[in-house]
Amino acid sequence: MALVRIDGDDLVVVIEGLDKIWALKSSLTIPLANVRGATADPGIAADPKGIRAPGARVPGVITAGTFHLDGEKVFWDVKDPSKTVVVELADERYARLVLQVDDPRATVALVENALS
Amino acid sequence: MGRPRAFDEDKVVRAAVGLFGSRAYDGVSVDDLVTHLGVHRNSLYKTFGSKRGLYLVALRRHLADDVRPLVDALAAASDAATALRLVTSAGLGLLLLAAAERAPVDQEVAAEVTAALGAVDRAIADALGIPTDLAAALTAAALGILLRGNPDSVGTALSQRLDPLA
Repeated sequence: MALVRIDGDDLVVVIEGLDKIWALKSSLTIPLANVRGATADPGIAADPKGIRAPGARVPGVITAGTFHLDGEKVFWDVKDPSKTVVVELADERYARLVLQVDDPRATVALVENALS
Repeated sequence: MGRPRAFDEDKVVRAAVGLFGSRAYDGVSVDDLVTHLGVHRNSLYKTFGSKRGLYLVALRRHLADDVRPLVDALAAASDAATALRLVTSAGLGLLLLAAAERAPVDQEVAAEVTAALGAVDRAIADALGIPTDLAAALTAAALGILLRGNPDSVGTALSQRLDPLA
């Protein structure tokens, strides 16, 4: 699971617990200027995710780490697809972040309000 | 950014107007958008940034395509009955839902809705030669009639009591 917060002009994503081992990452800091939006999207977990490198994917258990799809890098940290939020980025290493959060609706509101 | 878009953005936005206008913002999932708009999930995110990003584009499109022509038509309205009929027959589904559902929680939506309704008010005020406040009351009545399912007798009863307004 991921904790998403706004810290000044940055979006900060903290990967919690053992997930950071699978994802090979404990946190991400992204300038809000490079964040295009956030969307609750439980359905994305059923889509093709592309090729994982590096990271872990045990279908039905966890999708974590960096995935390459259509020439883009997408960061995943999801165990429970029903709590998935997609954060779209611009001019970053990752094209988007696909994160499991505690309260998708609150996270989406937090990010979208920080942008508008 | 990246590859050229493999879809007709104009058509997609128009379809989103229909979807959001009939099912509301919360009633439309990204899966629904992917299915009904015929666009890949990645392309949706790449083009619009988020579901809200697409919603704002769709709302502005609705205002340009559906509210703007209403404002133009209202300029020729000669009485309250005509103004009421024009507003209640304009196909304002997305505007009504946006006002009820999203404007209270989204400042950008609120600003668009306020501006659009203000334009309708001013068009009615100019056409009928009445104060903007009174025109706003007419707009409010027309939207209320729409919410009630547009029963014929209501608009008629109101305009019989009102006309001539000026």
